[in-house]
Amino acid sequence: MYKSKKGLSRMLAGIMALTLGLSACEAGSNGKQDNSEFIVIGAIQDLSGNSSVSGKAMDRGAKMAIDKINADGGINGKQIKYIPYDTTGDPQEALSAYNRLVEQDGAVAVVGPPISNIGLALTQTAAEAKVPIVGAFIDNRVTEKEAGVPQDYMFLVQPTNQQSGAIQAGYLMEHLGVEKVALFYDKTNAFGVSQVEAFVDYVESHGGEITTEQLFKSGDVDFKVQLNKIKESGAEAIFAPNYPKDNTLYCTQLEQLGMTDDFITMGGLEFAPPFLTTLPNPAIVDNVYYAVNVAFDEPQLQDVNDLYIESYEDAKTVDDISVKVYLGYDAITIIAEAIKNAETLNGESVKNELEAIRDLEMLCGNFGFSTTSHQPLGLSMVMYRIDEGQNVKLERYVPEELK
Amino acid sequence: MNIQIIVNAISLGGVYATIAVGYALIFNILKFSNFSHGGVLVGTAYMGYFVATKLQTNFVFTLLITAVLGGILAMIIEFVAFRKLRQRRANTMLYFVSSMTVSILLTNLITVLFGTSYYAYPVFFSNSSFHIADITFITSDMLQLVISVVALIILQIILRKTRLGVAIRALSTDSETTSLMGANVTVIIAATFFVSGALGGVSGLFLGMNYTLYPQLGAIMITKGFVASIIGGLGNVTGAVLGAFILAAVEVTLTNIDFIGSSLTPIFTFLLMVVFLLVRPQGIAGSTVKEKV
Repeated sequence: MYKSKKGLSRMLAGIMALTLGLSACEAGSNGKQDNSEFIVIGAIQDLSGNSSVSGKAMDRGAKMAIDKINADGGINGKQIKYIPYDTTGDPQEALSAYNRLVEQDGAVAVVGPPISNIGLALTQTAAEAKVPIVGAFIDNRVTEKEAGVPQDYMFLVQPTNQQSGAIQAGYLMEHLGVEKVALFYDKTNAFGVSQVEAFVDYVESHGGEITTEQLFKSGDVDFKVQLNKIKESGAEAIFAPNYPKDNTLYCTQLEQLGMTDDFITMGGLEFAPPFLTTLPNPAIVDNVYYAVNVAFDEPQLQDVNDLYIESYEDAKTVDDISVKVYLGYDAITIIAEAIKNAETLNGESVKNELEAIRDLEMLCGNFGFSTTSHQPLGLSMVMYRIDEGQNVKLERYVPEELK
Repeated sequence: MNIQIIVNAISLGGVYATIAVGYALIFNILKFSNFSHGGVLVGTAYMGYFVATKLQTNFVFTLLITAVLGGILAMIIEFVAFRKLRQRRANTMLYFVSSMTVSILLTNLITVLFGTSYYAYPVFFSNSSFHIADITFITSDMLQLVISVVALIILQIILRKTRLGVAIRALSTDSETTSLMGANVTVIIAATFFVSGALGGVSGLFLGMNYTLYPQLGAIMITKGFVASIIGGLGNVTGAVLGAFILAAVEVTLTNIDFIGSSLTPIFTFLLMVVFLLVRPQGIAGSTVKEKV
C-alpha cells in the first residue's frame, strides 16, 4: 500500500514537473517578454479538423506574406512574429486561442478563419478585447451588427455571402437560362445558410422557382436520399454551397445516381482549387459552376504562385493552390498596412487604421473596408466552370443590381 | 413505398450491420460497450487507403489486407487496453472508459498523422452504379451488402460449427466455468477481437470507398453500431443485424419526409433507442444482460 502511494506521488510529481517545464518553455517562446522586440500577429485556423484544407491554406498564405515583410525589413523596423493556433474547427477552441493570443502572446491583430460559425462566436469577445480579427468569414453577420453598423473588431477580406449568393443566382438565371433550382446545403453551417438566403431572394425576385430544399448536417456521409428527392423535384440546377469534404461526397453520389449530366451544379467557393486535386477521379466532377474573387492566371498572383509551388511539396501546379492562400496573404498585407500607420501599437489603433485603408494593392485587387460594414468596398467575382475535372475560366460577372 | 427508398435502406443496412456485429461480438463476451471499435473502423479505413494507393492493389487484395490489419489492430487494442483489466477482474465500467480512451487516442493519432486533409479512395470499379428498370443500384453499396452477408454467414458458421465458436459462446455465458473446463480464455478473447477487428476492417474499407476519409468518421459510425445493437439486443449478433437494418430503414424513411429530413432524423432514432431501453432493454432478439454498461 505504502509502496503504491509512494509510486503515485512520484508519478504526480513527475507530471507536475513536466507540465511546469513545458509551461516555462512556452513562456519563453510565446510570452509577453518577446513583444517589445517583435510585433505579434496571431492566427486562429482549423489546422487539423474537418475544414483544415481551408485553414491550412490560409495559414500558409499568411506565413508567406509574413516572410516577405520580414525579409523586406519588417514593419517600422520591427520584425513580425506570427503565432498560429489550431482551432480544430471548434468555436470554443477558437475563443480560447483568441484569448490566449491577446492576453498571453500580446497580439495586436489576428488572422481569422474562413469559417463563419467561428467568426460569429468571436464577435463579442473581440469587441471586449479590442484586438481586430481580419478573416474570410463570409456571413455578413460576422462583420455587420445591423444595417449600417459594423461589428467593431471584425473585418472581412473577401466578398460577403450576400454578394456571393446573388452573383451565383444571377449567373445561373441570366447566363445559363435556369429557372428551377433545388437547394442542397448544411443547415448547421452559417457559410451555406447565409449564401442560400441571398441566393433564394435573388431567384424568387427574378421569377425563378425553388423546387425543393434538401438539407444535411455536419458529419452526414450519405446524401442519396436527398439527391433522389432533388431528381424528382423537376429542378434544372442544384445550388450546393458546401465545404470540400461534403462536395466530394456530393459529386461522387451525384455521379453514382447518374444525375451529373442532367443537373447544373452551382457549387460555391469551395469548388475552387485545390478541390479537384483531392479527388481520386476528378473527371466525375462535371457541369459544375463556381465564383471566386480572383482569376488564377492574373499577373499579380504569379510570384506568390511560383513561391508556393517551390515551398510546398504537395503543390505541383496552380491548380493545387487554394484561393484561401491568397486570402491569408491579403489578410496579413492589410494588417501590416494598418500596423504601419498606427499611432500606437495596440489593437484599437490597428482597428482604426484598418478602417482608414483605401485602394491598397493586394492579390485580390485594390482594397478598402466599408466603415459601415467592415466588408470590402467594390466587388468583382470570376466565374469558373468544371468540365470533366478541368477548371475553365469563363468571365468576370456582376449582376446589374450589384454594380 | 418507393422501391428506391427500400434499396437505399437495404444498402445502408449492410453498412451498419457489419459495424454493429463487430461491436456486438465484444459485448457478447466481455459485457461492455466497445467504443474502441470506432477507432478500428477509421484506422483500417486509412490503412486500406494507403495500401490501395501506395501498393496499387486491386479491390479483393485490399479487402483481404484491410480485414487482416483490422484483426491485428483489434488484438493489439485488446492486449493494451483490456487484458490487464480482465486479469485484475476490474469493474466493467473501467473497460468502457478504456475503450473510449482508445477510441479518442486513435482518432487523435490519425488527426496528427493525416488530419490536415481529407482523403478519397482510388476508383476500384469502372461503373459506379447500374440501373434495373428505374431503380439505381450503387455498385460499392451492393458489393458491401453481398460481402457483409457472406461475412456474417461465415461468422455464424464459426460460432455454431467450430470449437472456437463453441468456446466464444461458452465464454459469453460464463467465463469462469469456461476457464475451469480447460479452455484458454485469453486466446479465445484475442481470437474474438481478431474476428471483430476483421469485420471492422471490412466496414472501414467500404466506409472509405463510399465516403471521404476523415478522423472523426469512426466515432460517427460506431454510434450507428451502438444504436443498432440497442435496438437488436446488446451482445446478440443476430439482433445486431436486425437492429442495423431497422435503423437504416428508419433513417432513410425519416430523411425522405420533408418536415423531418436529415436534420431531425437523429432525434427520432435516439428516441427509438430510448424507447427500446425503457420498454424492451434486451432488444428485439436479445435476452437481458445485467452487467451491461
